[in-house]
Amino acid sequence: MEQTKYLIAGSSHAALSALNSIRLLDQEGSLTLVTKDDRLPYSPTVLPYVVSGQSKPEKVQLRDEAFFTKNNVNFISGSGLEALDADHNTVTLQNGQEWQYEKLLLATGASPTIPPVTGLADTSYHVLRTMDDAVNLNAALAGAETAVVLGGGLIGMHAAENLIKAGVQVTIVEMCPQVLPGYFDPQAAKIIEQTFVENGVIMRIGDTVVGAAQDGEGSKVSLDSGDEISADLLLVCTGVAPAISYLEGGPVETDQGILVDDRMATNIDNIWAAGDVAQALNFYSGEKSVGGILPAAVEQGRIAGMAMIDDPAINLYPGGVPLNTYEFFGNQAISVGISDENALPEGVEVSLNVNEEEMFYQKIIIGEGRLIGISGINTNFDPGIMWQLVLRRTDLAAVKDEFLRNPVDTGRDLMSRIWR
Amino acid sequence: MGIGHNTIAFHQDKCDGCGDCMTVCAEAKSGTTDTQHSRLKIVPSVAANDSFELAMCRQCGDPKCVLNCPSGSLTKDHETGVVPWDQEKCVDCLLCTVGCAYGGITYNAAAGHVMKCDMCDGDPACVKSCPTGALEYNKSAEIYNNYGELEDLFVPGLAACQGCNSELLIRHTMRKIGSNVVVATPPGCIAGMGTVGFNGKTGSKIPVFHPLLTNTASMLAGAKRYYNRIGRDVTMVALAGDGGTVDAGFQSLSGAAERGEQMLYICVDNEGYMNTGMQRSGSTSFGSWTSTTPVGETLRGKTQDAKNMPVIMMMHNCEYVATASLAFMDDYYEKLDKATAAAERGLAYLHVYSPCPTGWRIPPESTNEVCRKAVETNFATLWEFTPDEGLRFTRPVDNPLPVEQYLNLSGKYRHLDDEQLTHIQNSVKRKVAFLNGFMLATSGSEAQMQ
Amino acid sequence: MPDTALTNEPNSIVCDGNEAAAWAVSLAKPDMVAVYPITPQSSLVEYVSQFIADGKIDADLMDVEGEHSVMSVLHGACLAGARTYTATCGPGLYYMFEPYVRTPGMRLPIVMSVVTRDGLTPQSVWGGQQDAMMLRETGWIQIYCESVQEVLDSLIMAFRIAEHRDVMLPVNICHDGNYLSYGVTKVILPEQEMVDDFLGEKDTNWHVALDPDRPMSVDPLTGGEGPGGPSTFVRYRKSHCAGMQNALRVITETHDEWERMFGRSYAPLVEEYRLDDADYAIITIGSMSGAGKDAVDVAREQGEKVGLIRIKTFRPFPMAALTSALAKVKAIGVVDRSVSFAWNCGPVYQEIQAVLYQLEERLPAISFIGGLAGADITGEHFARVIESTGKQLAGEMTEGPVWLNENE
Ligand SMILES: Cc1cc2nc3c(=O)[nH]c(=O)nc-3n(C[C@H](O)[C@H](O)[C@H](O)COP(=O)(O)OP(=O)(O)OC[C@H]3O[C@@H](n4cnc5c(N)ncnc54)[C@H](O)[C@@H]3O)c2cc1C
Repeated sequence: MEQTKYLIAGSSHAALSALNSIRLLDQEGSLTLVTKDDRLPYSPTVLPYVVSGQSKPEKVQLRDEAFFTKNNVNFISGSGLEALDADHNTVTLQNGQEWQYEKLLLATGASPTIPPVTGLADTSYHVLRTMDDAVNLNAALAGAETAVVLGGGLIGMHAAENLIKAGVQVTIVEMCPQVLPGYFDPQAAKIIEQTFVENGVIMRIGDTVVGAAQDGEGSKVSLDSGDEISADLLLVCTGVAPAISYLEGGPVETDQGILVDDRMATNIDNIWAAGDVAQALNFYSGEKSVGGILPAAVEQGRIAGMAMIDDPAINLYPGGVPLNTYEFFGNQAISVGISDENALPEGVEVSLNVNEEEMFYQKIIIGEGRLIGISGINTNFDPGIMWQLVLRRTDLAAVKDEFLRNPVDTGRDLMSRIWR
Repeated sequence: MGIGHNTIAFHQDKCDGCGDCMTVCAEAKSGTTDTQHSRLKIVPSVAANDSFELAMCRQCGDPKCVLNCPSGSLTKDHETGVVPWDQEKCVDCLLCTVGCAYGGITYNAAAGHVMKCDMCDGDPACVKSCPTGALEYNKSAEIYNNYGELEDLFVPGLAACQGCNSELLIRHTMRKIGSNVVVATPPGCIAGMGTVGFNGKTGSKIPVFHPLLTNTASMLAGAKRYYNRIGRDVTMVALAGDGGTVDAGFQSLSGAAERGEQMLYICVDNEGYMNTGMQRSGSTSFGSWTSTTPVGETLRGKTQDAKNMPVIMMMHNCEYVATASLAFMDDYYEKLDKATAAAERGLAYLHVYSPCPTGWRIPPESTNEVCRKAVETNFATLWEFTPDEGLRFTRPVDNPLPVEQYLNLSGKYRHLDDEQLTHIQNSVKRKVAFLNGFMLATSGSEAQMQ
Repeated sequence: MPDTALTNEPNSIVCDGNEAAAWAVSLAKPDMVAVYPITPQSSLVEYVSQFIADGKIDADLMDVEGEHSVMSVLHGACLAGARTYTATCGPGLYYMFEPYVRTPGMRLPIVMSVVTRDGLTPQSVWGGQQDAMMLRETGWIQIYCESVQEVLDSLIMAFRIAEHRDVMLPVNICHDGNYLSYGVTKVILPEQEMVDDFLGEKDTNWHVALDPDRPMSVDPLTGGEGPGGPSTFVRYRKSHCAGMQNALRVITETHDEWERMFGRSYAPLVEEYRLDDADYAIITIGSMSGAGKDAVDVAREQGEKVGLIRIKTFRPFPMAALTSALAKVKAIGVVDRSVSFAWNCGPVYQEIQAVLYQLEERLPAISFIGGLAGADITGEHFARVIESTGKQLAGEMTEGPVWLNENE
């Protein structure tokens, strides 16, 4: 049996962030990174650009072999966790190897969920989570003229834009009444939808796919509204779920994801979890929920790593805040915190500034003198600063007018002073 | 071990908001003077009129923008310290901007992508353009790179107070000078923190001893003479407090200086007997509260100015005399080199202004700020002297801040009234005037200070 | 070897005690001599300086800015491995006191002449042992000379005693201001090669050093209440006392060796003069002993069964030697050249009291104080001393102290 002090499962943002924290304080302790993908680390976020051909798999590596050598990391790719024996601090990999660890981080992310649509299982479709997915989809583009994207979330929208840019006629089917729910309010979402329409994307908002069937090389989907759409490509982007199959039957407590505390510790000693796989505190609700965004994976990975080496500088996880930076057709949509006041109790103050002509939209929600959320299109505030203001519950009372008028400069001023 | 990196420092109190830095940055990076392209942003502060703040990449040691980047376009260059951005790899997702809490990497709408400071390959245009010195290219990290690998000659866990300037000083000093030394730490904080230690438990890895408060220079002189006699080249170093230097130890130091005894004598001036309960010394500054110049109904702190020891040593015509402050490490290291070399020819004297968090009533984390402000107000001036080249300011302060800005930082001055403040400001001016005059007379240089 | 004041005899010169001391220094070859002038020591350091200037002594001359630094530079040098020497007295000694007191605690084998001087106030620049007597509890070894030749010989022996590994303590060779410092006689100079043999290689810092090749922390905090604090301190103190006791043996052995090599013999600790058949004795210390012996001879001629006991080594205190000497007589008179204020007697007298306690029978004793501030103690004075001392045997007691120069 192989032994390692630190064992990290996964090689994406949460994993690399934890690795970084550990190696800051402990350059010597043996560290093994095992990952399912048979590739150097990459980010799922970048996949749409690989699909469109704007980028290439070999261009988007997050770390190279030299990094692992320099940081004394044993990198095992192409063989993920198969099973975990928490009682003996061991894991079995897909290649049959057994590893004993002192400290284990589960950062295995999420994988796409497939909706229970009649016939879908017998229809050929694509998902987009791994580099292989992206490479396959990119290859499929060659002969494709049309595509249907199930889901108007972040992944679907990204993919759709990149497909149309690659010259494919795209339809998006989203069952919610708006795209990008949770990050933008209906009004902002409308502006985004409009832009997609203007760029030739067919938007089927509020409609649901109820059936799917193979149609020659392509596929055909039928909608709740009764319409049927045929397309060369079918892309399913209806959500993700934590990748935790290796935990089945074991003692690690899970709900939707792996339940963790504010140090990213699971209920089992010496096991931590971070990133999309984890179900951690939500900043606003105080409940634990799964996240699925990159900055949260980085932050959780950082904290988990620090907890694993007992770094005294550790700050407890303050809770996840919705964050989104979204580039679409040359526009920037950014959202930090809560964007739809309808989800909030009465009494918050909403400042709205819209100019649809100019594609400008900005909403600031303030409650009890503190920033609750800020979102917008082409507004150009600094999301990192806004995130800090939310997390720190910075009192804006004294500068509120300036903040509402000019959140960019006021935010920078505030933050510069806070840091100093 | 990692390496340290040079940084661009922002002295907020010196910024007048002129914006030249932004224009110059835009020009250097985009060829236009449109400040939209500037990678640093000066913003007016809501907190106070005519006050400005800076948003700029801090080239973090552990940058979150890099961890947030999904395409590998941001990295941390551990050689230069810069976080370079590779446009080739960037997919414009803006996730980096979520990671940055400084507004240091921002979306440039005019260019259609993010931008950030790249430090102009170690020669930042903004710093050169800044007319007030608010932006400074701080190279003190080079000290860490050049000397960080050298052995710390004191054990971890010396018992100095939190924020102690003296501990910082002795660790840097001896690390630089090395172990072929004999070190004297007379009674005072440096000995008290355990350098000589307890019987069987020393805090030093070098020959170190506890001279009397009164005879540091003489003891070293005796040891040095003998090493010279037997042809061994050993450096004598005194790490003494101000009490052991300007008061009780003065005679032996003066005698050693007059005889040109070969040693490096470092006076760590914390303006009093801080190790034994904060009593006044001859180096205590006017107005200071100490436990023997207390503040009450009739007494308002010390009623005399401090003895100007470095000037007195200069008048001994020592091989090398300099003042230093640890807020300016690069300056200190340069002087340390010169002083160590001079100590092989005769007596080299370094006078280091050394705020004491405990005795001066300052928060431990602001020791360095107090060091800095002492210099920026001209309360402490940084200069060096050799018999051949006379006196030279090593870090002239052209627009000294009012001395209150220094005094306000220490609780020991809390009680000062206007008359006392005026006295201190005047004596600061007098001291600078004297140095200017002496400089003119000895070096012929015209580079006077204000 | 000498080029001045030659006598007819080979290797002999005519000089005073200060010059004799300088010759001793030249023969003992210290690495460093630190000097600061003070009457009546000044000519001693002038001779030494001139000898160094002339190349007769190959030593570093540190002419520093005061006696405090004199002892301090010797500390540094000795810790670095040097053999060291200095001389002082009176006010200079008092000014040196801080580093002086520290010297034996660090077990530094420094040799220093005390050219004894009275004072400080009432002001006096003349001889008297008040300064030397003040040093009694500082932990130095203290040896008092009677003659100029003895100054020279004892000073050379001092280096061997100080550096002896069973001792490792600083040594004061005391010679009386005026009487020995300026008294001129013939002196025989030992051969340099023989002195080299006699002293051997210097050995000053094997136990405590300031040396980058042997990094250590010198004189750290010791004692206090913490665990091991008191016992560590006690260990240092006890070993210092043990070194002192060892010195009694080493001083004796050294004098024996001196006699073997150079043919001159001195009682190392306590000299007994015409004591064996004596009924009573006078006790002296330092240069007065010569006059004392003459007076004893005169009294003997008159039939008085009187003897003389001279204390040469006063620190460590030669308790055994004194006890056996005193056991031979029935009454004593002690002549001091200084004062114990608190006891209203001379300090030697005061200490002799403790010896008397060792005896089976109580001896009557008188304290005489004479020769203060350069005053002479003549044969006449000693005749009075002998007379009063002897009368005790017939039950005629004199209450001390007797101030010998009171009416001059
Ligand atoms: C197309 C797309 C676009 C996105 N765009 C954005 C965006 O714009 N903004 C945003 O914030 N987020 C975006 N995301 C989400 C973001 O990529 C994720 O939140 C983030 O990658 C989560 O990181 P993670 O390390 O937790 O997991 P993942 O990135 O999912 O990585 C999981 C890792 O675990 C490995 N693994 C899986 N199973 C095992 C196993 N059993 N054993 C060992 N290893 C295993 C995988 O190989 C992988 O290395 C996007 C996601 C996708 C797919």
